[in-house]
Amino acid sequence: MKNPKPPELARHRRERLWMMLQLLPVFSVLTILFGGALVLAVLQSLGFAPWFGVNTFPDFSYFGALWGSYSFWQSLALTLYYALMATFISLVMGVLLALAMVRMFPGKSLYKYLYKLPLMIPYTVGIALAVIMLGNGGMLSRLAAFAGLISDPSEFPQILKTHYGWGIIAVYVWKQAPFVTLTIYAVLLGVGRETEEAATILGASRWQTFFQVTLPQILPGIVSSTLIIFAFNIGAFEAPFILGGGYPDTLPVVAWRYFNDADYTLQLQGMATVVSIALIASGILFTYLALYRRYERRIGRN
Amino acid sequence: MRRRKATSALNTRLSPFQKIYLLLFAGFILGPFIPLIIQSFAFRWAWPDLLPSTWWLEQREKSMLPLAWDYVLSPYSRMLEATINTVFIGLVVTVICLAICLPAARVLARENFRGKPAFEFFLSMPLIVPEAAIGIALLMIFIRLGLAGSYIGIIIAHLIPTIPYMIRMLTAVYQGLGRDFEEQAMILGANRWQVLRLVTLPMLIPGVVAGALFTFLVSTNIFLLTFFLGQGKIITLPTLLFSKIAGGTLDASAAGITLLVTVPGIILLLVTERFIKEEAFGKGFGN
Repeated sequence: MKNPKPPELARHRRERLWMMLQLLPVFSVLTILFGGALVLAVLQSLGFAPWFGVNTFPDFSYFGALWGSYSFWQSLALTLYYALMATFISLVMGVLLALAMVRMFPGKSLYKYLYKLPLMIPYTVGIALAVIMLGNGGMLSRLAAFAGLISDPSEFPQILKTHYGWGIIAVYVWKQAPFVTLTIYAVLLGVGRETEEAATILGASRWQTFFQVTLPQILPGIVSSTLIIFAFNIGAFEAPFILGGGYPDTLPVVAWRYFNDADYTLQLQGMATVVSIALIASGILFTYLALYRRYERRIGRN
Repeated sequence: MRRRKATSALNTRLSPFQKIYLLLFAGFILGPFIPLIIQSFAFRWAWPDLLPSTWWLEQREKSMLPLAWDYVLSPYSRMLEATINTVFIGLVVTVICLAICLPAARVLARENFRGKPAFEFFLSMPLIVPEAAIGIALLMIFIRLGLAGSYIGIIIAHLIPTIPYMIRMLTAVYQGLGRDFEEQAMILGANRWQVLRLVTLPMLIPGVVAGALFTFLVSTNIFLLTFFLGQGKIITLPTLLFSKIAGGTLDASAAGITLLVTVPGIILLLVTERFIKEEAFGKGFGN
């Protein structure tokens, strides 16, 4: 191969430059805002805050104090518990709904509107609905009284403001099961039904068809949707703040309390909390992605 | 026997379990709105009653203070202000996001360059890093820069979670487009600007509308970044509702506000259903 002629080379360079220019805006916005915020958060959590007159960088005592306290681990366990439970329930409910959505049924076009409603409205609406349904004076409690099961609001099992967090999980599921459905349903539509039909004709049972044909096909959708909702759940603030059981709080709420404390040195502790959330979340999600990639390679998809 | 089983699995109709499941799911999604609507019209609704004993309208003339819907629709509830803020921020975020994502999505869909997978991964990072972390870290910076509690600060912050979705949806659009038409126009002597205006844009419009709607939707639903960075100075619909229900109780006026906060979502739902096909979402999230 001979070298490209100078004009070609110049044209090539110009195109490269033009390409880079097109990528530049989005790259710089994300780098400055998102990368900048993360870098500064890490610096602060390590004791770099000259505007408070604190500059002991690098100082691991904030992390030390945080990770050395029992309540941090309690909060972490609680955060992960809510996030995992909600993600898992949303996944199961969402996949079941998506499998039903690819079938024909009367009123399907209406149902396509209906199930997407939670995607369109803020989490705070879901929280309001949880309060009116699940509270001790709420609708379920009234229905239980109507059925003669209880005679006083206090007899109704407490759902909100406990560390079991069923209220929080209910809000997440209400909002996220439709998201899983949407993603999986889209993948199912793209895949078509031919492979399932082939498997059935070849004598596979319904369970075999699901686990050996359908599931591997929708797996990319499952992974991407669960990644997104799990990451969101770990960092969510409003539902645990309103519906949570008080101390110990989830990590984002803990960070927010540190940050709003009158003692500004606690802000650095808050930053350490924030960095811990980011580290733990990305650690879990990277592991999850890596396992998924390995599985993909093993079954021969790239 | 065996044959019957096979045909039932090939069936495109619902099984009985699926029928029940669809009904239960619809009840789970929509059911809670029924007591919410009742609550917004209730004046007195004591515990074991399934319906209020006194309705808001009955007491309306007797009361000195505005009740439920009177309050919600009055300026005191700040609903109008919050709605205008939400729509304004959403529109500006959508326009900026579109402007910076369109060129990048074109390159990502069509060119190959070293470090492309890493770059794509970087662009979806905001979906993976928890919002609380970004929110608090940004607040620190914005307080220094004087951007906390300003529209500019909130709009900038909203770009972070919206960019990944916009990039994914637009990249999918460009991938579906193919470059043949553009090349033909080039061969026929059109310059870059003419190609963009006369060929690329008309073919892109449906996908761009879908991406813009989705970005608008994400922005109007953001609570945490607005709440942290707005510092209570700028209220949007999600943060206004949060302040009404933060105590963990829901009175009639809070129920009314919840219902009104739902209305833009219903409008968006009706609009997006026309523009965003399920398949488009699949391309955006499928990997």
